[in-house]
Amino acid sequence: MVEGRGFFARLVRLYLPLAVCLVVMLFPFYWMLITSIKPNRELYSAKIMPLIVYQPTLKHYYDLFADTNFLLWTYNTMLVAVVTTVVSLVLGAMVAYPLARLNFPGAAVVAIGIAATYLVPQPLLFIPMADIINRLELGNTLRAVMLTYPTLLIPFCAWLLMGYFKSVPRELEEAARIDGASRFQAMWRVVLPLTTPGLLSAGIFAFTLAQNEFLYALIFLAKSDVRTVPVGAITELIRGDVFYWGQLMAAALLGSIPVAVIYSFFVDYYVAGLTAGSVKS
Amino acid sequence: MTQPTQSQATRRSFLKLATAGAAAVATGPWVSRHAQAKPVSITFARESSYVKNFDVHFQNVMAPAYEKATGIKIEYQIQAAGGSAVPQLVSMVENKTGADLAWVQQEWLYRDALVDVSDIAEEVGKQQGGWYDEIKRLSIDKGKWKSVPNGNIGQLMNYRKDWFDEAGIKSFPDTWDEFLEAGIKLKAKGHPFGMSMGHGFADNYSWLYPLLWSYGVTVMDKDGKKVALDSSETAKAVEYVKRLYKEACIEDCIGWLDPHNNKAFLTSQISCTNNAYSIMVSAKRDLPEMGKVIEHALNPKGPTGQRYHALVPVTHGVFGYSKDPQAAKDFLRWMMDPKQYRPWIASGDMYFAPYLHGFDKVPEWDVEPRVKPFQKVLETGKLTSWPAPANRQHGEVINRWIVIDMFTKAITGTPTKNAIAEAVSQIKAIYG
Amino acid sequence: MSEIFEVSRTGELAASVRRPLGRGGLRAFVERESVYSWLMLTPPLLFLLLFLGYPFIYGVYLSFFHKEVARPAAFVGFGNFVKLYDDPIFWQSVRNTIIFTGVATILKASGGLGMALVMNQSFKMKAFTRAALLLPFIVPTVLSTVAWQWILDPGMGLFNRLLVVSGLAKTGPSWLGTPTMAMISIIMVNTWRGLPFFGISILAGLQTIPVDLHESATIDGAGTWGRFRYVTLPSLLPVIFIVTTFSIVITFFDFQLVYVLTGGGPANSTHLMATYAYSLSMGAGQLGLGSAVALSMVPVLGLLLVLLTLYVRKD
Repeated sequence: MVEGRGFFARLVRLYLPLAVCLVVMLFPFYWMLITSIKPNRELYSAKIMPLIVYQPTLKHYYDLFADTNFLLWTYNTMLVAVVTTVVSLVLGAMVAYPLARLNFPGAAVVAIGIAATYLVPQPLLFIPMADIINRLELGNTLRAVMLTYPTLLIPFCAWLLMGYFKSVPRELEEAARIDGASRFQAMWRVVLPLTTPGLLSAGIFAFTLAQNEFLYALIFLAKSDVRTVPVGAITELIRGDVFYWGQLMAAALLGSIPVAVIYSFFVDYYVAGLTAGSVKS
Repeated sequence: MTQPTQSQATRRSFLKLATAGAAAVATGPWVSRHAQAKPVSITFARESSYVKNFDVHFQNVMAPAYEKATGIKIEYQIQAAGGSAVPQLVSMVENKTGADLAWVQQEWLYRDALVDVSDIAEEVGKQQGGWYDEIKRLSIDKGKWKSVPNGNIGQLMNYRKDWFDEAGIKSFPDTWDEFLEAGIKLKAKGHPFGMSMGHGFADNYSWLYPLLWSYGVTVMDKDGKKVALDSSETAKAVEYVKRLYKEACIEDCIGWLDPHNNKAFLTSQISCTNNAYSIMVSAKRDLPEMGKVIEHALNPKGPTGQRYHALVPVTHGVFGYSKDPQAAKDFLRWMMDPKQYRPWIASGDMYFAPYLHGFDKVPEWDVEPRVKPFQKVLETGKLTSWPAPANRQHGEVINRWIVIDMFTKAITGTPTKNAIAEAVSQIKAIYG
Repeated sequence: MSEIFEVSRTGELAASVRRPLGRGGLRAFVERESVYSWLMLTPPLLFLLLFLGYPFIYGVYLSFFHKEVARPAAFVGFGNFVKLYDDPIFWQSVRNTIIFTGVATILKASGGLGMALVMNQSFKMKAFTRAALLLPFIVPTVLSTVAWQWILDPGMGLFNRLLVVSGLAKTGPSWLGTPTMAMISIIMVNTWRGLPFFGISILAGLQTIPVDLHESATIDGAGTWGRFRYVTLPSLLPVIFIVTTFSIVITFFDFQLVYVLTGGGPANSTHLMATYAYSLSMGAGQLGLGSAVALSMVPVLGLLLVLLTLYVRKD
């Protein structure tokens, strides 16, 4: 990438916009952090600036772990997210690859079909979805959401991956096939490595959507020990019109920051993947 | 070099799916036949209670006691508050599977799917002083009890006595006109009222409908056939609310859902709102100074000289699809037996007020004097459908906030006449 | 580009191709473009048909019936749609949804592009920063929306406290208390939440652009802006298109956010088609009518589908 000259250029081009991005995106998290360590009386006090806490307490975190099944919810959420992401990425790539790079009869129908699956929004799908789950006797099991989440995620992964698959030049694949590779080998060894950033992006988003999902989890996972974090938090930390703000915010932070930390490792990985697998064949 | 070909992988996954599907179909009838035996457990679904103790008492005292007595385990399924219980209930009813008994919110949607519990209800009524008439209009359908009323969540005016005293208002306003005057005074001192008028389900209905009623207006006539909202008194009520908002209320409140007024009160932004007594509970716990100065008062009287309150009922029903409805009914009967019922209600600090006259004067009401007014709610309390039947059409009007929006549309600029006319025509379209 | 003219060459891979057609029959068959495509498509399509096909068809079917909870369905043809045509709340929800989706998408796309360009440079702690910027997207929506309830509180909320303390205003605006402000607020929260999605996807797209394309453009004399216009943007277009399309669909159906923050109020000013469909089905028990609202979203989305198909069929 062509570099700017000197500190001032970097300030304008990088540090200032970066600071703006960070503040805008992250100020609510600072608020969440403060609230999660603020005793209730300070929270409700009109005299105290919201961004300061005078007598921080870990009580909310303690209550979260002691009074709710938070750890169990976290485990459930992660398990479901990992499984559904893997399934959705694989199946999504299997849809995206032909649609993006091959010609075949029925391509238009398939494309429309995949897109059409988004036409009925979740709030209306869930009754027949609940019917299927109940017939398969999967109510109140994590398998219920493991089977239903991919229905949301596969079309999404497919769409996203199509864009990345399309951006790999044809010449590369053709060169490999001329060298004697089969289609599968060409895909596996040439195209997929080059679209690793795309695969990781799709994976990150599928994972995020999976661990964020609320409606199906709410309907299918009614018992506390199979709940995911969003559903568990809303169900047990909001009682009528009484919100347990401190614990809610603690749950929000604990449910997102570790995930972000994990992501930061993948972000590194896909940059390396890019520069390694490059393009001068 | 061999690699697993696509076709092998395809075959494998297809077989897996097909087997799963076949297995599901094959086990289906077997499973339901098998479950005719005595149930090992009964699932009871209820929205999480505002007073945590109430749920705790159930889980730690009642459920184990029942299990000890009968060997049946009670699964207490807590549902999320804020409107998520109804979709779950709807889903259960549509798919004919789920909890055995539940707090049947919006039961008019699925009364046909509920089991007849008249024997239990009538027995309880006889034993415990008789039921309040109004609640019968919700629980009794075509002469049969489809649910057993468990308690009423009372909604009253919550206010800051210290600020009212400061403004020279020694006793809570008795009429809506006095209420407005008080609000103007308090807003001038920086302590406006916060009357919820958004898309919530309780704190808006609990004062706007009683206000209408006290002006002599009802939404439908008592048969539920003719719209009664279009009357000259309605316009007066709407004009009143407009004035109240502009001169006495905080700007935010037309967007308030049910939790917002709690937050506003606890952060000292408002001096009065209509709510259950959850605000006092939170204050006593977290802000003891404020907790000392919160009081509750009955809704003011209107031009008709009457005051009204809105009921927020908690009723329990048994689902017909249950594998063993009789077992569920037995549990329900046991739950309502005074030996169990009375301590349970007490554990909730009378947050849920029984609809039984036998509880009118029990000493539990005296534990906290500021809770006692909630008992009075039952005397002048009406279902929001009053005087019409509590049926689906009524539910639709409630869930589309047609009457609430009549007020807020007038507040945000629609001429009063038009706001009323629009509401009336929408209600007419719903009732057909 | 069809089948079997593999040029035989020495090389380890060539050996697999030298087999005469008869013996390599299966392999050759699989190599055919159409066969290979359909082999790849079958498992996912089968899965979707099984688990999504039935709910989807059920949803469409319901919209032509008068169906109330726990009651049998009665066919009414277009009756539900006629009812909606006369329903002012429905039309308001349509208007709200279009405005909400349109404005939020534009904000997210441009913000995301900007964020991606900034993040594409190298600096210390890059990985960590990138992951941190994803946080609004990662945190469960219901929980972050609960936080926003406080941030938007008129007296206690962050925005208004800062406005008052800095002297910019005597009291802050009522963020959720007027129709206009409420719409602005939900657009703002939706943008905040969705921007990282655009940012990271576009960033990945930026990094898929082969370096030599940039280099040759520079050699040809293009400056920063020129490179952006002629190399970056065109290469990004497929990704931007896909991400935007997806985001439009998701935003169109956004539900959790509005439900928690405003419930569709005040006075239906933030009622979206998704929240309206939900309150009709779940609140009023009118499953048929609710499905009809959902199905009414089809025409607009249908247009997007046509565009998408054209895009896929091209080249």
